[in-house]
Amino acid sequence: MFSRKQSANDSVSENMANKQKRYEALVNALHSDIFRYAYWLVKDKAVAEDIVQETFLRAWKSLDSLKDEKAAKSWLITILRRENARRFERKQFDLVDMDDVALADDGLSNETEIEHRELRKLMANLSDEYREPLMLQIVFGYTGDEIAAQLELNKNTVMTRLFRARNQLKEALEKADDSRGYQNG
Amino acid sequence: MDDLQFRRTIYADPHCADDEVKLAASDDPKKQQFWNEIKQLDAKISQASKVSVPDDLAHKLILRQSLESQKSQTRHSKIYLAIAASVIFTFGLSFSIWQQQNVTYLGEYALAHVQHEGDGYALKANGDISLETVNAQLASLGAEFKQSLGRIYYANFCNFGNIRSYHLVMEDINGERVTVFVVPHSGDYKVEENFANERMSGQMFDVNRASVIIVGDKANALGEMKYRLKQNMLFSA
Repeated sequence: MFSRKQSANDSVSENMANKQKRYEALVNALHSDIFRYAYWLVKDKAVAEDIVQETFLRAWKSLDSLKDEKAAKSWLITILRRENARRFERKQFDLVDMDDVALADDGLSNETEIEHRELRKLMANLSDEYREPLMLQIVFGYTGDEIAAQLELNKNTVMTRLFRARNQLKEALEKADDSRGYQNG
Repeated sequence: MDDLQFRRTIYADPHCADDEVKLAASDDPKKQQFWNEIKQLDAKISQASKVSVPDDLAHKLILRQSLESQKSQTRHSKIYLAIAASVIFTFGLSFSIWQQQNVTYLGEYALAHVQHEGDGYALKANGDISLETVNAQLASLGAEFKQSLGRIYYANFCNFGNIRSYHLVMEDINGERVTVFVVPHSGDYKVEENFANERMSGQMFDVNRASVIIVGDKANALGEMKYRLKQNMLFSA
């Protein structure tokens, strides 16, 4: 009886070790992109980190349901989006107004930093429905079809939103340049 | 491809590899220039999107998971422990109930024994058994009579609730017949000093390794008999 239990334990721990390996591979390969995507969803690093923690924890718990590692990315994004939605169910967060928030300082050189900061502010101010497909494209390199599948939208809608997102960013940047020009001049 | 269509396509996907788009760009330098601008913008967006990731995030994610799986393992072992405990508890409970049911109520049993015999053999026996015979048999239960207490009508081993006991029918001081059992201690038993039913009553006393039970008609002076037995029987330790 003991020996049987022992061997069952062995195969259990072998399964666990495999699962552990898969999980660690997943974390190492995707945590950065998932974190950045989370950041652009919630626009707050601490909250993003919380959501990423929850996301990976859930991923670990249901790792057995992930049959194909190639699907891992979209699987994690789905979990992340659900976690984010759950956060809103739990409590209505204060919507962060980017103008009031000091954005992450990444210690880049001054000029690039200023440019980045400005662009980030503009990106953060895009409406969610524009920002989300844009970030799927930028962060994960998703195609229009993949974004449509992930967000359960029609592809035309996705392409329109992507167009509007960049269009708004470009116009806003030009406007900012102009006003800086006035100030400097 | 008209200009608006071209712009929409490029805005939506600056890295578009569509032949029609490429052709339109190569035909029109303005379109190509616009494309380049948007590619530049996209490179900037891409750079800006790369917010710094907390250094130890990967480590934290792995650590948190291993804590969690440890916790769930402890949870499992707690569940197993609880199941084991409840099985043992149930077993223990039913065992003690079973044991209690197994307690021999000597008095009740003696009454039942005599009553079952009714006007049977033992009480009607008319023997006059010698003290030597009785003592020889009682010796195997570690008991003996120091002296005769009167006529012994009947004496033999009997089965007292699966305990090999000794069954006597003796004459008391009033000349009435009294049944006396010598029952060696075995397992759980319960001594009731006095006991009775509608027809008979009984008394008993305990010595170190046996109980002596006296059963007779209610009217009989059982107390007296008990006293005399106590005085005149010897029991080996």
